[in-house]
Amino acid sequence: MQTTWRCAVLSLLLLVPRAFADDITESAADIKKLSVEELMNVEVTSVSKRPEKLSDTASAIQVITAEDIRRSGATRLPEALRLASNLEVEQVNSRQWAISARGLDTTTANELLVVIDGRSVYTPRVAGVFWDVQDTLMEDIDRIEVISGPGAALWGADAVNGVINITTKSAKETQGFLLEGGGGSELHGFGGMRYGGTLASNVYFRVYGKAFERDRTELALGGDATNDWYSGQGGFRVDWEPTEQNILTFQGDTYSGRFEQSGTNGAIDATGANLLGRWTHTIAADSDFALQVYFDRTFRDTPGTLAEALDTYDVDFQHRFPVGDRNDVIWGAGYRLYDDSIRNTPVQAYYPPDTARQLFSGFAQDEIALLKDRLTLTLGTKLEHNDYSGFEVQPSGRLAWKLTERQMIWGAVSRAVRTPAENDREFYSPGVPPFKQVGGTNFDSEKLIAYELGYRIQPTPRLALAIATFFDDYSDIRSVEEANPPAAAPKTVGNGQQGYSFGAELTGDYRITDGWRVRAGYTEIQTHLRPKPGSTDFSDGANEMHDPNHQFSLRTSVDLPWHFELDPEFRYISRISNQDVPSYCEMDVRLGWVPSSHLEISVVGQNLLHDHHAEYGLLSTRQEIQRGVFGKVVWRF
Amino acid sequence: MEILRRWLAIAVLVALGQGVTPAQAQTSPSKENRIKAAFLFNFAAFVEWPANSLPAANAPIVIGVLGEDPFGSFLDDVVHGEKVNGRALEVRRFREVSEATNCQILFISDSESGKLTDILAALKGHSALTVGDADDFADRGGMIQFATKDKIHLRINLEAAKQAGLTVSSKLLRVAEIVKGGKP
Repeated sequence: MQTTWRCAVLSLLLLVPRAFADDITESAADIKKLSVEELMNVEVTSVSKRPEKLSDTASAIQVITAEDIRRSGATRLPEALRLASNLEVEQVNSRQWAISARGLDTTTANELLVVIDGRSVYTPRVAGVFWDVQDTLMEDIDRIEVISGPGAALWGADAVNGVINITTKSAKETQGFLLEGGGGSELHGFGGMRYGGTLASNVYFRVYGKAFERDRTELALGGDATNDWYSGQGGFRVDWEPTEQNILTFQGDTYSGRFEQSGTNGAIDATGANLLGRWTHTIAADSDFALQVYFDRTFRDTPGTLAEALDTYDVDFQHRFPVGDRNDVIWGAGYRLYDDSIRNTPVQAYYPPDTARQLFSGFAQDEIALLKDRLTLTLGTKLEHNDYSGFEVQPSGRLAWKLTERQMIWGAVSRAVRTPAENDREFYSPGVPPFKQVGGTNFDSEKLIAYELGYRIQPTPRLALAIATFFDDYSDIRSVEEANPPAAAPKTVGNGQQGYSFGAELTGDYRITDGWRVRAGYTEIQTHLRPKPGSTDFSDGANEMHDPNHQFSLRTSVDLPWHFELDPEFRYISRISNQDVPSYCEMDVRLGWVPSSHLEISVVGQNLLHDHHAEYGLLSTRQEIQRGVFGKVVWRF
Repeated sequence: MEILRRWLAIAVLVALGQGVTPAQAQTSPSKENRIKAAFLFNFAAFVEWPANSLPAANAPIVIGVLGEDPFGSFLDDVVHGEKVNGRALEVRRFREVSEATNCQILFISDSESGKLTDILAALKGHSALTVGDADDFADRGGMIQFATKDKIHLRINLEAAKQAGLTVSSKLLRVAEIVKGGKP
């Protein structure tokens, strides 16, 4: 029943022919003509949001379900994101990950937007995500939607190359006790609990807490990387449905983590908390609005390098309504305030260290049924104003052509921008003169025009195949220029690179029997960046992209007799040429035993093929990920 | 708990101003309930009752609704004029399980979930196909559970159906999740 409001936005982003069943269910005479299968296919989540069938979305989307996560044995979000074959997921060390879509992959992956229950977890200073503090009880995740390609028309700046939308279950769906615990070689120990109950009729709540401790990784050149860490997190969610037209959600989380680092500076401390409220109101079957407010505070102290305290205040509103028979309009507006406070060190600095920045945004989109149930055109644009680059316009056009009930072709042209971050404009290294690198005070947004073409077919109800292809035309990509040539230092940040990338994402999903499912994914990305005329950055993008050109994954889930489950996952990742990281094959295997809906016992092996292997990074600092095995018990009552 | 509740109420008022309006009377059932009504109708064709449990050859198949009725007249409209194996369909509403022992399909409303164990016990020995949407309906011995998450999924407790002498069509079982270990 519950859907987050970002999920709603997502569903609208994925322009789709109006599902015929939406109308047919209105009439008793029509609804009874539907088969059981058709009834099971009707979306009943809040009418207005109209989440579309996956097979109908005109975008390169993959959905990771709660069951997928459970069967994968994933213990943290980045591990779960490996299930989306359209993402590049590289583990850098014990806690850092480089996650991206369609290239330009770096540890902070500054082209990808990540949203958890409607809250952006993007850190504007680095224009990226700190994956070591993004967490929740894995059992409470309802679904993760992963879009590769621009989502800017609705999601806004920074959804340049993709959107990861993580949605947790409603409090209503997480009633009762859940206790879990376990441990092993790399994941030393972990425990979690959740309790869900009711406060009054139609008011559901849950509270949860979790903690874990993880082992360090190894340095590629030999020796231990002193980066073992532990973290704890807790939170709550309340869902109130006072009437069928209104849903009110309140939720919040708080966490605290401590990450060892090598040297004599002492451990990194990271803490944070957030509070969110959302009201969705259904006006009519095809019309609704949603209002969301949140506050998010993060603090991270990396002794010897930097400390940052960031407060984010955000308000969003959206409204959807039909115009005539053929137009489905959605518009929205948002305001965000970032209050950032940085403590500089002699190693690096930001000037000014204390900033407050505002972001105003609005969007509008019209989904036009050119041919009912067959051909749909979606035109939309986002208009934003930020304190660095002023107004930004990000339009997109998408066309979906449903050839038959089981086949669809889609295409899209979109413009997206990655707006300047403090890292581009105000970053100084070292933190005191003489500087080797200074911020580019004229740094402008990085720009992308993306062309996409995709095809999806479901030859039988058990088999689904999809291909998404893209050509991305980049301009004004970040570069590091000589500030006073021919002097080698200082260098400054500019927009001196341009280039293009292209590639394809193929997926296949075959349910051979009810208890045996096989999924495969192959993604190819070729990126070429070069200096613009006049630029002195001849790195050919070596600082902006660390992408394997090919990756392949094969997963299978098998239900065995006596309530056993076996879930092997194999992946091949090609070399990252500009970091000289070798290609590798790895394998995870989960063996589970689920004697009843109350108990689940599993053993998970991760990275089983090698004692240790590298996924990312230059040799001098590269770290290697070790084979790990852990056991886990989940008890529900 | 009381503090949390008050905090919640205050927060809601702050968030909404005076905008909270009381529940409005529902004129037509929600889409979710319309789909469930269509399922109930479909079940009649996918279940075989023991020969002795159906009365006269021309007697209707009775779809009962126990407790608060979420369907309104929509369910009646769906079955109106329909025949399954030559039998008409009829919807009846019940307030107590003791009245409901003679139906072929019994939808046990969410309003009764507190009494579910007693209700299922009372239906023992009768051949009603029990249908419900409580979260653990099938686990507690109900036969078909509507599990809603984006779409409506079916969870079927096959053992419970078998014990009541019902045969559930494989066509229905194919699309459903089979719940094991339930104790009817």
